[in-house]
Amino acid sequence: MNENINPNVHTETHTGHGGLHTDHHGHDHDGHHHHKQSFVSKYIFSQDHKTIAKQFLITGMLWAIVGGLFSVLFRLQLAYPDETFPILETFFGRWAKGGQIQPEFYYALITMHGTVLVFFVLTGGLSGTFANLLIPLQVGARDMASPFMNMLSYWFFFLASVVMFSSLFVQTGPAAGGWTSYPPLSALHEASIGSKAGMDMWIISMALFVVSSLLGGLNYIATILNMRTKGMSMTRMPLTMWAILFTAILGVLSFPVLLSGFILLLFDRNGGTSFYLSDIVVNGKILPNEGGSAILYQHLFWFLGHPEVYIIILPAMGLVSEVMSVNARKPIFGYMAMVGSLLAITILAFLVWAHHMFVSGLNPFLGSVFVLLTLLIAIPSAIKVFNWITTIWRGNIRFTPGMMFSIGFVSLFISGGLTGIWLGNSTLDIHLHDTYFVVAHFHIVMGVSAFFGMFAGVYHWFPKMFGRYLNNTLAYIHFWVTLAGAYLIFWPMHYQGLAGVPRRYLDFRLWSSFNHFTDLNKMITIVSIIVFATQLMFVFNFFYSIFKGRKVRSTNPWGSTTLEWTTPINPGHGNWPGEIPEVHRWAYDYAKDGRDFIPQTEPLNPGESKH
Amino acid sequence: MEHSTTSEVTFTQHHSDAEFRSRVRKTTILLSVITIIELIIGLVIYKMHKGDHPSEFLIMLFKGVVCILTLAKAFYIVSVFMHLGDEVRNLIMTIIVPLMLFVWFIGAFLWDGGSYRKLRNRYHPVIETPARQGEHEKSDTATHPLD
Amino acid sequence: MAQTAVVQGKQWWAGGKSPFNVEYGKLMMWYFLMSDAFTFGAFLISYGTVRFSANSWPDPNHVFNAFPGAGHSNLPLAFVSLMTFILIISSVTMVLAVHAGHNGDKRGVSKWLIWTIIGGFAFLGCQAWEWTHLYHEGAWWGMNPFPNANGTASSTNFTNFFFTITGFHGFHVFSGVVINIIMLLMTRNNVFEKKGHYLMIEKAGLYWHFVDLVWVFVFLCFYLV
Repeated sequence: MNENINPNVHTETHTGHGGLHTDHHGHDHDGHHHHKQSFVSKYIFSQDHKTIAKQFLITGMLWAIVGGLFSVLFRLQLAYPDETFPILETFFGRWAKGGQIQPEFYYALITMHGTVLVFFVLTGGLSGTFANLLIPLQVGARDMASPFMNMLSYWFFFLASVVMFSSLFVQTGPAAGGWTSYPPLSALHEASIGSKAGMDMWIISMALFVVSSLLGGLNYIATILNMRTKGMSMTRMPLTMWAILFTAILGVLSFPVLLSGFILLLFDRNGGTSFYLSDIVVNGKILPNEGGSAILYQHLFWFLGHPEVYIIILPAMGLVSEVMSVNARKPIFGYMAMVGSLLAITILAFLVWAHHMFVSGLNPFLGSVFVLLTLLIAIPSAIKVFNWITTIWRGNIRFTPGMMFSIGFVSLFISGGLTGIWLGNSTLDIHLHDTYFVVAHFHIVMGVSAFFGMFAGVYHWFPKMFGRYLNNTLAYIHFWVTLAGAYLIFWPMHYQGLAGVPRRYLDFRLWSSFNHFTDLNKMITIVSIIVFATQLMFVFNFFYSIFKGRKVRSTNPWGSTTLEWTTPINPGHGNWPGEIPEVHRWAYDYAKDGRDFIPQTEPLNPGESKH
Repeated sequence: MEHSTTSEVTFTQHHSDAEFRSRVRKTTILLSVITIIELIIGLVIYKMHKGDHPSEFLIMLFKGVVCILTLAKAFYIVSVFMHLGDEVRNLIMTIIVPLMLFVWFIGAFLWDGGSYRKLRNRYHPVIETPARQGEHEKSDTATHPLD
Repeated sequence: MAQTAVVQGKQWWAGGKSPFNVEYGKLMMWYFLMSDAFTFGAFLISYGTVRFSANSWPDPNHVFNAFPGAGHSNLPLAFVSLMTFILIISSVTMVLAVHAGHNGDKRGVSKWLIWTIIGGFAFLGCQAWEWTHLYHEGAWWGMNPFPNANGTASSTNFTNFFFTITGFHGFHVFSGVVINIIMLLMTRNNVFEKKGHYLMIEKAGLYWHFVDLVWVFVFLCFYLV
């Protein structure tokens, strides 16, 4: 424990927002005036990164419930296409006429399930939460570079959420052209019922989301690079910081391309242009649009879309690396290799987007270049996996809930990653594209495993966020049910995909070749309902523990080396009541020189061995 | 202190006022000259298009030269006007290196754009409607083999 | 401070100071501009992709050949050259404003900012004229009166991209002018004088030069090649 920090000091010494970044040496003198914070400025329009992190997390959790509920609904349809559920009609009216999910409703459900979980939960909710919470705490800064822009970032996210949520209630329903919103379905109002007002709101909401992620990303980069405390060189940072830095870089460079694509799409919808449109017949009517290219949209979308999957998975990787090292009581194995592979993944993420488009009419030779670049990603990914395994090898493992989820993450990342090698080959992809094999692949490798990283982070840093612990029993139930459930749901989907079952279809009764999957589909649906219920239990645990959880008694409950555990149990705005601590060593001095761990703030002892 | 970055430090200003002014003047003249050369080339291309048998190769060559001149202009604007040339090397590199992504970004997009044209011409030839009478017809429709 | 920076040159990344020797605001402006470069890049590359996938494309010299007050005379490239020079000159005046800011010269800052603002308005005026002219010729989003260079009917994408991209650029010029006006008012009200530095002008300047930089590429893609 760090003796300098007295947890009983009630921290009111804000350095003042203006004082954070000015050039006056010694902010502390202007930090003594107390801010009388109203409820609104403390909890709503807060500029404190820790509060903003909680806002992101809770918004993300609400969205996760919505998105998860959607999946339960469409799984019901897939498992029981013959049965009727009158209760659905009670809730959804004509969308579930006669208690059966209508096709338009099904398309809307899968579209919104994808959109919500990819963008609002696993991008906003995941990197929004942990970038905000951890960056200033782990690099040793009072707050983000620009707390105001950071606040705006959340409120743009909130606005995007409001627009997206309202789109669920417009008369023609939300967007229903798939989460990728390919034209022409997304570009023509008359193409389908889900292409009307809901689609416009989808685009507007996503544009707001891009603004939010840019404001956030610029802040994350500037803070990590520019505001590290004295002694915190780049290679002394915990891997969480590296992962979040690369995530932010990915976002800042790729989201603008998506924005451009959406602006062109908006013009196609409402401005009479034909950027993406050519040779189209709708309802027997030949459209005048000529000369556009639907493939262009796919290129623009996936130029973001592929980095996006790394925007989702990199923060999870960072969180897992940190949690694993702490709970194995061992330094992370191959720190520089971890950083290097994060960098390699970041670079490759930008170069491989067209592997989502092998069957779109992409030039086959160009496709083979993309195959090569895609398969290269296996190298840094494998390096990371082996390093995680080597980190826990002969470790003194504490199976905390965070650690369990970290190990689960690695398992899922391997299982889902290996099928990526299949799909990255264009020849195999011709058979497998748009089947349940793809669904299984990306749900395991970036869906569930990113969730596992997020859960690991929540269980590990909950004491920092709220000064209390989550309930452990519920946590272990949560872990085992979710892990087993994830494999039970998605593993069989690989076989369905290999047999050719296409994704996005609502009813397979017409294909006798798929009949033998009927019982399997029922099993998957039942398991997914159980897993969904378990997540609700986690949500209960979360909110219950905020108020009633076991209190944290020590500033450093996990025996961790990093800076966030040198702050008081409930740090105020400004994080450290006194001076920001100086850093003297890297973040992974565990089990060194006969000591369990050495905090980063402890100066090197004479004669100490190098790590 | 945690942020010893003083706001006073911007780019390192080695040069005196007069030196600075002459540098700005030189850059302005340079940018103007490059723009004028670009215009001249543009007009040459225009004249060539009006000729009977414009040489495709020469036109492409001229267009390539214009692209390079534009990059030169961009370099001077960023380096002198935006003072990136006066910043420390770390900053220069974090700006320049990510821009390398444009190489593959442009390359792959344009490549696939060209491929789309060839595939369409081969498998879905469009009979192009002449917009005006009397202009020479020149079209590579439906004749190219798939390359 | 530059002195100490040189002394500590080897420990740029050691923490406790900026590895770039800049304050966070300027760093964020640079990275914002980088991401905006990808927005514009995506637009221009989309334009290139569609153009590459078309068998023929209108010849810009036949489209942009008018000059205000010159009637129907054929003056290819003339007007756009004027616009380009206006933007380059306004970039130069912005450099001088930033420089005056470094010297703490309030009068110089406001003088050169005013010239920059005038340049910005002049450019926007030119663009308004050009758009109006094209509109009267029948060009707009979804309408393209200009045939391809080989005489065939052109798709509307020539005008679609032209109006979208120059419009997006014009929007940037406009917001740049607004930013510059705000900077001028702040200068006049001694905001920077009280702060002791004119760093905000420098950031506004970066944005303004970026607008110029983008125009260089718009000029290349739409008018020259």
